[in-house]
Amino acid sequence: MTATAVPSSASSTAARLVADLTAALGAENVLFNRDELVVYECDGYVIEKAVPDVVVFPTCTEDVVAVVKICNRHGVPFVPRGAGTSLAGGTLPVGGGVMIGLTKMKRILEINTRDRYAIVEAGVVNVWLTRSLVGTGVHFAPDPSSQTACTIGGNVATNAGGPHTLKYGVTVNHVRGLEIVTPDGEVVQVGGVVEDQPGYDLTGLIVGSEGTFGIVTKVIVNLSRDPEAGRTLLAVFDTVEDSVEAVSGIVAAGIVPAALEMIDNLMIRAVEAAFKFGFPVDAGAVLIIEVDGLDAALDHEAQAISEIVQTHRGKVEKSIGWRTREEPEYKAIWKSRKMAFGAIGRVSPTFCTQDGVVPRTALPHILRFMEGVSERQQVRIANVFHAGDGNLHPIILFDEQDPDQVRRALDASVEILDECIRLGGSVTGEHGIGVEKLAMMPKLFTPDDLAAMTAVHDALNPDGRCSPAKKLPIGGHCIERTKPGRHASA
Amino acid sequence: MNRQVQAPVWPDAPDAAPLGDDRCATRLHRPTTVDALCDAVREEVEQGGAVYPQGGRTALDYGRPPGRPGAAVDVSALDEVIDYPHADMTITVRAGMTVSTLRGILAEKNQRLLIDVPWPDRATLGGALATGVCGPRRFGLGRPRDSIIGVSFVTSNAVEVKGGGRVVKNVAGYDFPKLLTGSMGTLGVITQATLKVRPLPGASALIWLPVDDPAKLDERLAALASSALRPVAFDFLSPSAARLVGGPVGLGRDAWTLVVGIEDDANSVDWQVDRFRVEAERADFDVLRDDATAPLWTALTEFQVETPGPFACSASLRPSQVAAFLADLPAERWALQAHAGVGVVRMQALGEWGGDEAEAAIAGKRAEAVRGGGNLIVTRCPTPWKARIPVWGESRQDWALGRAVKRALDPEGVMNPGRFVGEDG
Ligand SMILES: Cc1cc2nc3c(=O)[nH]c(=O)nc-3n(C[C@H](O)[C@H](O)[C@H](O)COP(=O)(O)OP(=O)(O)OC[C@H]3O[C@@H](n4cnc5c(N)ncnc54)[C@H](O)[C@@H]3O)c2cc1C
Repeated sequence: MTATAVPSSASSTAARLVADLTAALGAENVLFNRDELVVYECDGYVIEKAVPDVVVFPTCTEDVVAVVKICNRHGVPFVPRGAGTSLAGGTLPVGGGVMIGLTKMKRILEINTRDRYAIVEAGVVNVWLTRSLVGTGVHFAPDPSSQTACTIGGNVATNAGGPHTLKYGVTVNHVRGLEIVTPDGEVVQVGGVVEDQPGYDLTGLIVGSEGTFGIVTKVIVNLSRDPEAGRTLLAVFDTVEDSVEAVSGIVAAGIVPAALEMIDNLMIRAVEAAFKFGFPVDAGAVLIIEVDGLDAALDHEAQAISEIVQTHRGKVEKSIGWRTREEPEYKAIWKSRKMAFGAIGRVSPTFCTQDGVVPRTALPHILRFMEGVSERQQVRIANVFHAGDGNLHPIILFDEQDPDQVRRALDASVEILDECIRLGGSVTGEHGIGVEKLAMMPKLFTPDDLAAMTAVHDALNPDGRCSPAKKLPIGGHCIERTKPGRHASA
Repeated sequence: MNRQVQAPVWPDAPDAAPLGDDRCATRLHRPTTVDALCDAVREEVEQGGAVYPQGGRTALDYGRPPGRPGAAVDVSALDEVIDYPHADMTITVRAGMTVSTLRGILAEKNQRLLIDVPWPDRATLGGALATGVCGPRRFGLGRPRDSIIGVSFVTSNAVEVKGGGRVVKNVAGYDFPKLLTGSMGTLGVITQATLKVRPLPGASALIWLPVDDPAKLDERLAALASSALRPVAFDFLSPSAARLVGGPVGLGRDAWTLVVGIEDDANSVDWQVDRFRVEAERADFDVLRDDATAPLWTALTEFQVETPGPFACSASLRPSQVAAFLADLPAERWALQAHAGVGVVRMQALGEWGGDEAEAAIAGKRAEAVRGGGNLIVTRCPTPWKARIPVWGESRQDWALGRAVKRALDPEGVMNPGRFVGEDG
């Protein structure tokens, strides 16, 4: 396609940009029609929107290099996007420019079970790798609830967690190396198939940097051995408070479950309506508690957990003993958990999934606090979260069409996150700062901390053209959010 | 008007403190507060000197020689516990605390650190993190970078900066904890860290199995990687390493030796030891249990800091390459320990070596490691050799990014100049 196909309203600079990108990638990999672009105006965070000028779909690293160089030549910003499941507006094209969609870079390049690594392109969906490893005895540990959609590049950028990261660690603990295209268009190999390489741990620095250090094109991930066996318990409680006290009790007893997830009544009902797994709809809360490892140790651990559950007035209603994570009953319970966010659509037209962290012993306190917030702000809050990590996901339900509700939902979020900070926690455990939480950063970090982070940002992204206005509140990009609505030029 | 400062010169005698590689500090600061540490850094920077952070001085010769005159900043007086919410399984401590003291504090709550550190009575947590040290249990427990969740450090601007936090999951801000781990004191003086800790295992066992035929090593390693056991460590020792490591605990025999470490609850450990007997198809191995394992864990951890000969290296390889890598190293010239599960090979040169001979041997094994995607660093050698032998290996492509990060946090090159990779010059 040539520049003449660009709508006449586009300025000639925009037309030249599109022409250059089209020449480099082919017309089939470049979108610039307004109605096609609207799909990309937001990700899983719907409160702010901005339409990119162009969306491109590179199919290889060289394509990414070409795109980045073109953007630099034209002086326009660019932002990487995987599956767009970010819940923090990480893919929002602030200031327009070019969105680089990685979904056509989807090859699994190598699987090496003996040396326990795999090399994948950034657009490989998390669960594809999981599926291709079934039966090999190893797996990729990070399993975000969005794993059927989100990309491994996105997991790297956000340092994603998931239910099973309690025992096994988050994405950064499972990445050995990266190939990135730097903001000035150079391809750099960071780390490698062997874990330690001399030099700074740049892999550790880049994982979780939310696209601000360049475009990740390949990822060398660590593969972990499958456990020999596991027990997955469903514990039922009358009240949320009892359930989280049990969580604190389990952790304090020195038990490190593979997963420890909490679902409250509002969510149980939504999930039951959607999946009919058999969760008790009258329960105040349920915990999904999983232990894994050698079979020889598991009965003892499961017994200890049952006792703690009983001490906190709960009851273990189901206990699934399994040998592989492919067993139907096992899959059913986790499907229900992981699809919970999807089920919430039955309860509310719009919702905002928050992400805060508290020390695990502070869970009872923060849950009581959230009940107070819900009453004060007159918004409903549902809970389904990674309790064992102290990682909350209050889901604040509101109607996008009602500005007052939107404001109250935002206020509720801020109140909850402020309390997380006060308790010594964090404003994000896994979803990222994105654009959503820029204003929270100065509450968590001192000006000196932020200056050091900014210095590192500026060293690796000197023009600030790569993922502008993400992660760090710099350059006056901290977006005013008291007037939510469409930020797009629409 | 600019104050004229005279650039410091290297002092001759170790009046103040050693810096490693036969260099001495112009001065020694031993601050007892972070503010005093900031003042010391400010003062040195104003005078145009460098800052050499120190903890227990157990690894001063690690890396390249100090690059320019400067003061030692000893962190060991900063040694308090800041916060130990043991029920959360995290601890925040000042960096100058020794690893033994930290272990003792954790043990009172039946918990432990997940890092094996040589000479823990002297080594400080800050030093362990700065060097990214690890030992045999890295296979099961991970690297220091996997334990650390928060860090504070004093930069060359003389301010304390933090990254991460005190909760186990946190993606706010850049991951300074990982960046500082293994940074060799070149980005700032680490003053505080928050770590994930874990319960002490209920039971442990170390299996010591002499192997008659080292040619079968790879087969054994492959079998272990897929065996029903879930060891936290499996090391392979050459005959002289077996003598060095096992001798003091009465196990040393001049034979290639496989060491398997198991930690879990008692049922699981019993089961695994039995299972090992079945899988190994023999019973002529020694098993140390529980408290009796401690001295052998220590010896396995401290092999890397032994000095049986003139120099030592550490190679990182793919586990599948370990056996071949060991095979062509003459057993009488090297004592070798492989943390076989993670592909780390510790190489202690034995006997007399000329510089040329050592250089050639290092270059050859380094090339072999690099071909397989790994690397080899020289962890100890006579200082004069360091002018010829690149101790960190040949330049890597990502060092350019590293240099940019270094310039961002330490624009004047004040922190541990000369020591680490990728510095200009
Ligand atoms: C229903 C639901 C459940 C979720 N559950 C979890 C969960 O359990 N745990 C969890 O951690 N998160 C969860 N998330 C959040 C989200 O799925 C994760 O953040 C995920 O890692 C994002 O991947 P993605 O491919 O969708 O990335 P995107 O949303 O496309 O992008 C996310 C960020 O990464 C950057 N990025 C993407 N690709 C690249 C690349 N190749 N190079 C550089 N930067 C890049 C983007 O610019 C953006 O800043 C959930 C989201 C939803 C909608």
